[in-house]
Amino acid sequence: MNPLETPFIKTIRREIAFTARDHTVWFWMIIVTCLSVLSVAFGQAEIKHQHVQIQSLVQANEASNTLESSKWNDWGSAAFYHYHMTYDAPSDFAFAALGQRDNQPWKHRIRMLALEGQIYERDVSNPSITIIGRFDFSFLAAFVFPLILIMLLYDLRASEIKAGRYHLLVSSVSHIASLWPLRTILRTTAVLLCLLVPMIFAGAINGTSLSTLLQASIMVLLFTLFWSVVCYIVSAWRQSSAIILTTLVGLWVVTAVVLPAGAKVAIDKAVPLPSGADILLHQRETVNDAWDIPKEITMNNFLQRHPKWANYQPKPPSFDWPWYYAFQQVGDQATENLSTAYRNGRLQRDRIAGWVSLIAPSSLLERSLQSLANTGTAASIDYEDRVRIYHSKLREFYYPKLFRHEPYDKTHLNKVPRFNGR
Amino acid sequence: MKEIVYIAVGELRYWLRSHLALGGSLVFLMLISITSILTTGHINAENNARVQQQKNAEDTFLTQPDRHPHRMVHYGHYVFRSPPPLATFDPGLDAITGQSIFLEGHRQNTAMFAESGASADLGGLSWLSPALVYQIFAPLIIILLGHGAIAREREAALLTPILSLGVSGYSLVLGKALALLIFIIIIMIPLMVTCTIAVFKGADPIAAGLLFCVYLLYLIVWGIMTLCVSSILHKRSTVLAVLSSCWFIFNLALPSLAVNFVTYTTPLSGKIETDLTLLADLHKVGDGHNINDPAFGQLREQLLKKYNAQSLADLPVNFRGIVAIEGERKLTNVLNSYAARRMAGETQQSQQLANYGWLTPTLAITFISRSIAGTDLANYHRFQKEAEALRFSFVQKLNHAHAEQLSYSDDIQRNKDEASGLKARINASNWKSLGSYHFKKSILSDRVKSAFYSFNILLTWFFEMCIMLFLCARGINS
Amino acid sequence: MMMLQADSLHIKRANRAALNGINFHVNSGEIYALLGGNGAGKSTTLLSFLGFLKPSQGQVRVKGIEVKSNIAAARKVMTYLPESASLYDHMNAYENLKYFLQLAKRHVTESDIQHALNRVSLNQDSWKIKLRDYSKGMRQKVAIALSILRDTDILLLDEPTSGLDPAAIDEFHALIRDLANNGKAILMVTHDVYGACQVAERIGLLRDGQLVGEFSSHSDAPIDPQIVHSAFLRNK
Repeated sequence: MNPLETPFIKTIRREIAFTARDHTVWFWMIIVTCLSVLSVAFGQAEIKHQHVQIQSLVQANEASNTLESSKWNDWGSAAFYHYHMTYDAPSDFAFAALGQRDNQPWKHRIRMLALEGQIYERDVSNPSITIIGRFDFSFLAAFVFPLILIMLLYDLRASEIKAGRYHLLVSSVSHIASLWPLRTILRTTAVLLCLLVPMIFAGAINGTSLSTLLQASIMVLLFTLFWSVVCYIVSAWRQSSAIILTTLVGLWVVTAVVLPAGAKVAIDKAVPLPSGADILLHQRETVNDAWDIPKEITMNNFLQRHPKWANYQPKPPSFDWPWYYAFQQVGDQATENLSTAYRNGRLQRDRIAGWVSLIAPSSLLERSLQSLANTGTAASIDYEDRVRIYHSKLREFYYPKLFRHEPYDKTHLNKVPRFNGR
Repeated sequence: MKEIVYIAVGELRYWLRSHLALGGSLVFLMLISITSILTTGHINAENNARVQQQKNAEDTFLTQPDRHPHRMVHYGHYVFRSPPPLATFDPGLDAITGQSIFLEGHRQNTAMFAESGASADLGGLSWLSPALVYQIFAPLIIILLGHGAIAREREAALLTPILSLGVSGYSLVLGKALALLIFIIIIMIPLMVTCTIAVFKGADPIAAGLLFCVYLLYLIVWGIMTLCVSSILHKRSTVLAVLSSCWFIFNLALPSLAVNFVTYTTPLSGKIETDLTLLADLHKVGDGHNINDPAFGQLREQLLKKYNAQSLADLPVNFRGIVAIEGERKLTNVLNSYAARRMAGETQQSQQLANYGWLTPTLAITFISRSIAGTDLANYHRFQKEAEALRFSFVQKLNHAHAEQLSYSDDIQRNKDEASGLKARINASNWKSLGSYHFKKSILSDRVKSAFYSFNILLTWFFEMCIMLFLCARGINS
Repeated sequence: MMMLQADSLHIKRANRAALNGINFHVNSGEIYALLGGNGAGKSTTLLSFLGFLKPSQGQVRVKGIEVKSNIAAARKVMTYLPESASLYDHMNAYENLKYFLQLAKRHVTESDIQHALNRVSLNQDSWKIKLRDYSKGMRQKVAIALSILRDTDILLLDEPTSGLDPAAIDEFHALIRDLANNGKAILMVTHDVYGACQVAERIGLLRDGQLVGEFSSHSDAPIDPQIVHSAFLRNK
């Protein structure tokens, strides 16, 4: 027997032909393809823009430092005026999930002063743009795509019942499994391919690793599976199609909007954060008070944490740079607790959100794609951590020169640690 | 005329007896009520917190001891952005824009600590507010109730008998429209309550009334759209599917696609980028700390000439203070021109975005709503401008005190020893010149003006829909 | 008096001639049955009297009014009962009547409604039951009650007896007979040959949009169903 002529293959071919005759299926396939291509193309354009931006910022910063450096005549002023570019370059999958990159800073231009005063700067885009959010692949897949699936699948049975064909159909097929489940699978597969292919294509162009693309595809597949099973179960219900559709859209509203929104409010309430303003006020107090209190107090505070420089001898009467940087650091130390609480609180909120998203599939998919693309909250806090580490490296670089009164040597500036933005 | 009322009453009776309609409305009313209560509570708490923080910041500034005036310039001050009263209905950009700005000499800082930066992130539409519920979910409930209006009659073969009673298609459609209008007004009760409470908290009654009117108009647009589709298509389930598709395309897909287009066609340069070019411009202005900066040479000559003095020490004013004043003035001019350019860019971008209101009424209403509530981009810019004005004013007041109350000789010897340091200070009573600040709601006419463009778009949608409905009703007639 | 009149009526539907020049009339006090197979043009004829379909040639008149020029006036004097006795499922008999009468701008008292429901002998227990729980015969009775209450001179019935059991058909025939005896003109379209012969004074036989035969009863002799039946089957 010709393997293409087995009853199973025949059935599939019959149903493919049947599905292909349905104009609505074609309509939604075209819509999904367009949306997917648009989302991926714009994501790609934005990522490219960000890369270009990073490159030009690094160059411009370099140029500006070179220009300024002629005026630096000691290590203190060099450290004071030398700006360093830090950035979090978008990953090779960020085109599909831009995530928090519109809302959280991913570039800071920092210097040796107290870090707390610098790290909360927000160089982010236009708020009236951010509030709506971009139409990226993760948004399409997690929020819009289930609605399209619903539109395709809600009416599968009810329409046949309404048209009076249901019993005829059911009594005509040999295996009932070859009818509704097969139709559901065919329709779902058709739009799923339209959704995934542009993303995979763009991934190939970007050189995204195969495993990332595979993981993303599996996530979307599982999510799609979830929704088509839900649609299958609900549409099996002997009710009018209007009630079935309303129920499905209602489920979407609850899982995609109401649950996440409610959870957000609850999580923010449950995990209180120190107010950002307090961090800054406190830091400013400490830094400014240093001018008024005896230098010894500041230095003692500093040396407690950095006994390494205990044998430092101030060089009067000139302006004392080491002391200046010491009180900057003491300022950071003073807000350390608040700042750590602020960071950990955000991570804690994010962790709980991760757990809650287990009952909100759309959030789960979007978050998963974002973590795959390194664009989630955790990634942005990770960037913040890296900036902190980098800043402490800067201190490690300058402190010996300052506290040991090393003579200023321009050529040493080349050895200033550079930020590795990946 | 009377038959329109009868048809409306008939439709209302149908909804009262339909579990779907009743259940849907109940869920909607619960959603909007809970959202309203939570948002009102949240915004009021935020408002109290920010007013308190503002007061703390002022108190801290005032309780500073006698100091060298320039120390206070660097000590700086904070301003906090209080949400306007109608933010309880439409918080708009409140959550995603910075709440406070640190004001200090020689710098314009960005507003820091947006709520969204620290919130749990669950993606999508998780910033629910009463305004968002009306913009996005009220249309859904209107579709749920209205989709059957004509299609149901047609499916039950009731259309012909009703028309054969002498009822015209226009009356039928108008009757159904009246029923939907009544329903829309009922679901707007929570809006009225929220806005009325806001009025007691200081919102303009006119603004609250305007909000009611524009949302009414917006929901009517959706109501009419629903009726049109219901009267064109024959199958009730097709009507519902087409309308639901319109719903998510208008509400979910198009606005964020518009964002993609706008950011692609009119990109904005970030702050760091402009800061770098800014730096070059600032060098030309001169360093206000350095009296020997050649940028102030002319000033020095003028002053010496004016007071007929031989050296700076002979001047009746402290030249260091004068240089600080002049330096700050010039620097602020440069900073302001950059700030103005950035704000113009942002405004242009959001204007571009508003243009997409021609494609989806949802964008139009979001712009109108935020403008009237006073939580839009213009309001955020106003905060930044007010903060800058305050910054410039207190810095210059301190610089004037520097020039007038501290002698030049004391000033240049301030680092000599401790006693000289103590001498180079001015009285703490000078800090009072800071005054107190409260970010007030903007003038109503300004808000209305900025809502005007999008309002025209929405009005056009309304008229287009009316014409559509007229054509659909004519189709039923024959 | 001629209540309904079709003069060389041509109707086109979907670019196809649905009616091809038919002539007939219905007098007051008379039941006229239009008999024909599926797609013969029966319902098309009814819809053209109601003004939903415009003649491409010829005209239809209702009480002498040309329908095309004054649809509203024509509709005022007719009651149309569609095939499935379409009424609202979510209302009871009482509410349905009240609602339709409001739309027809006809003011009636409660006792009028009770009277009409009694006249169609609808069991009083079922007056307050929603129509979704009615049998087809019961719905048909409510529809007749509506025509009684509207008190129009003309009744247009589309397949009124399809789906009714024999007892219900008899009851229905008695009802419309009674109405006709009170001077109403009744035009019914049906494919039930025997029912039509039983109740109608005259029968028009429609085939492919043309009236191919007309049969009349006489005071003592009703129309012979055998003759009509064989005419109905001829040339098929």
